Amino acid sequence: MNFDSYDLDPAVFDEMFGSDGTPHPHCEDLYDTLGSMSSADLSAIGEWVTRSFTNEGITFTVYGDDEETERIIPIDSVPRVMSATEWGDLTAGLKQRLSALNRFLEDIYGEARIIADGVIPADMVRDCPQYRLEMRGFRAPHGVWVAVCGTDLVRTNDGFRVLEDNLRVPSGVSYMLAIRKATKSAHRLLYRLSRVRDIENYGLILARTLRELAPEGRSDPAMALLTPGIYNSAFYEHMFLARQIGADLVEGRDLLVEDGYVYMRTTSGLRRVDVIYRRVDDDFLDPLVFRPDSLLGVPGLLHAARLGNVSLVNAPGTGVADDKSVYAFVPDMIRYYLGEEPLIQNVETYLCRRPEDLEYTLDNLERLVVKRVGESGGYGMLIGPHSTAEERNEFAALLRADPADYISQPTLALSRAPCLIEGRLEPRHVDLRPFILTGAETRIVPGAFCRIALRRGSLVVNSSQGGGGKDFWVLDD
Amino acid sequence: MLSRSAAGLYWMGRYLERASHLSRLLRQQTESLADSPPRDIYFGWHRIYGALDREPLSGALELDSDDLFALVDSFALADDLTFEPTNPDSIRSCFAQGRENARQMRHHISAEMWTCLNQSHLRLQDMEMQDIWVRSPENFYAETAAEIDTFRGVTSSTLYRDDAWHFVQLGNYLERVQLSASLLMAQISAVHLFEIPADAYWTSLLRHYYAFEAYNRASSAAIDPDRVLGLLVTNPQLPDSLSLSVAELCTELAAIGAGPDTEATARTRSQAEYLRQLVGVEWPGGADGHALLGKIGDGCRQLHHLVTKTYFDYPVLAPDQGRAGRHDQ
Repeated sequence: MNFDSYDLDPAVFDEMFGSDGTPHPHCEDLYDTLGSMSSADLSAIGEWVTRSFTNEGITFTVYGDDEETERIIPIDSVPRVMSATEWGDLTAGLKQRLSALNRFLEDIYGEARIIADGVIPADMVRDCPQYRLEMRGFRAPHGVWVAVCGTDLVRTNDGFRVLEDNLRVPSGVSYMLAIRKATKSAHRLLYRLSRVRDIENYGLILARTLRELAPEGRSDPAMALLTPGIYNSAFYEHMFLARQIGADLVEGRDLLVEDGYVYMRTTSGLRRVDVIYRRVDDDFLDPLVFRPDSLLGVPGLLHAARLGNVSLVNAPGTGVADDKSVYAFVPDMIRYYLGEEPLIQNVETYLCRRPEDLEYTLDNLERLVVKRVGESGGYGMLIGPHSTAEERNEFAALLRADPADYISQPTLALSRAPCLIEGRLEPRHVDLRPFILTGAETRIVPGAFCRIALRRGSLVVNSSQGGGGKDFWVLDD
Repeated sequence: MLSRSAAGLYWMGRYLERASHLSRLLRQQTESLADSPPRDIYFGWHRIYGALDREPLSGALELDSDDLFALVDSFALADDLTFEPTNPDSIRSCFAQGRENARQMRHHISAEMWTCLNQSHLRLQDMEMQDIWVRSPENFYAETAAEIDTFRGVTSSTLYRDDAWHFVQLGNYLERVQLSASLLMAQISAVHLFEIPADAYWTSLLRHYYAFEAYNRASSAAIDPDRVLGLLVTNPQLPDSLSLSVAELCTELAAIGAGPDTEATARTRSQAEYLRQLVGVEWPGGADGHALLGKIGDGCRQLHHLVTKTYFDYPVLAPDQGRAGRHDQ
């Protein structure tokens, strides 16, 4: 197998090769191994990895697709690798960022000093749909509002940048673990020689984190993972994690609140629940507080959490901190709360609520990425360089109608990594979602869900829109 | 164990037993297509549809003495029971529902169990009747039954013996008793309808229960309907007999332990004991035998209702009614 048809673009960072066309030092073993394999061997590995996902039913659900709701995420069997030194720098930046975000949440639902001190405008926070008035005065256990964070990182020639913080119900960690299991088996010799850092203890670390956040006096807490149910796109992950952490996988109808305590219905009667790792959005969590028509939640759940009788992980209301407008202020939060300079930079962001930013955005639509602040999953966005004039006109009208609902960012040249495409190694754009866990301390397993834009030239990595995944290896130095 | 999880595992056990039962019946039936006279073929279909309490899609079953018609009808009937999407009791539907329950409860079952079941589901998913008919339908049914047997073996080897195990087994045995009672009643009715007693009708039943050799050992090879039924109902050593299945059912129920309401638990266990008594008596034969099987079927339905109300869907006491059934852990 060779890289003859692999085209390098000096404007785009390549995860395998330097600008001179030689592999990065930490990629040499992978380069040599791929070079020694035939196209048929590599394709066979790819097919085996995909088949193992099919047999094990590692699926995600696509909304609105009646014909086939369960799908297998496309897996690329060529791992992306990173040196321990680079990883160390990244983790320091991720921990710094999450620490500031937790301080921000504690602050805005409490004294709101950051607003009083003029660091972030009050309307930016209070007009955000994810800001939950109901959470004011709430005391999160140990001040941890966000215990599980999945931060999306992209790399350009200028280094890593945070694309977004996922602070509500970040998903993808089950794919990280499942892809590792399959890839490790497929490349076992390379894996051994490369001294890849282990990620298999993620479940243990998550369980430990959740236990650390249990209500006071509950030394052996009963834990549950609250899922919206089988039709949720991430149901496989919910089931997988429940198993990993030894928690019951519950739906809202399995729980009830009585006298300020949460119970689940078991075959031997009602049993108290201490920690709920909830994978249900805020809106649906408690019909007495949020959406009254929700059938997915538990009436009285927030009351029990307020009393400190149950810990909700992540706490409701965290979405305000990963809002696409508030995102622009995270570097300021880091300076304000920690007195430090951000270790990982943001992507330059134009807030269309500001007249000058709106004007700039409208003038440069063909060069920018425009995102609706309340959307995720790659929906509600315009990628200027890949758009048609008609699409740009449509977005211009939307921007003028409700500018506060949009931000824009320069179109980044996301880094590329080699992927096996129809029997050949070709570069594809990738991003990275590491998972950061915070309980009594902050921990990060040395791995991440690496998403790929499988279509040539595409920048959209979301699995719901044709993206795939590959393994990500952190190598010991 | 979470009540909904227990219910899911219980239903997984029931659906897979139903798929296994029907696969074995259809295996027997399609084997008979090669050399049996049309009358025997129609007897077989009557027995199957009677046991399932289902009307064929085309309406009532009518005897056609033409070989070709018997085969064409058999194709449509087998399709109805194997792949028909509107038939909730077809083999594919039962598999899909068993697999769906397993999917929702994957955190309670072993990875090996899931993979085994999922692979069978994937095999069945895109098949059509034509695919199996042109080759060997009896092999397809034999493979399907064997896959469920493999799943049971994997379950036995890998599943921790906690409530998850007990509820799977409970569903499995309760379904088996109920289906068996229904099949034996259908056998008696069909024999009566077709008037002429034929050994083949009874030997195929014995084979369905893997009981042919056991019967021969005990009965000098002469086929006597009452002795056949007596063996299948009351023999405690025959793996699929009602007697042994009810005994296993009682064992699983006892292992689950007390539910939230001790009185409800006692009623449930008492109902299982009632079933044990029914299958423990000497086979009465004749009309009394048919009536006994009816009582066993009714008893199963009542037991299912009690299990549901005791463990899955029990009423939660209001605060002023005390805190019974509540525990801190």
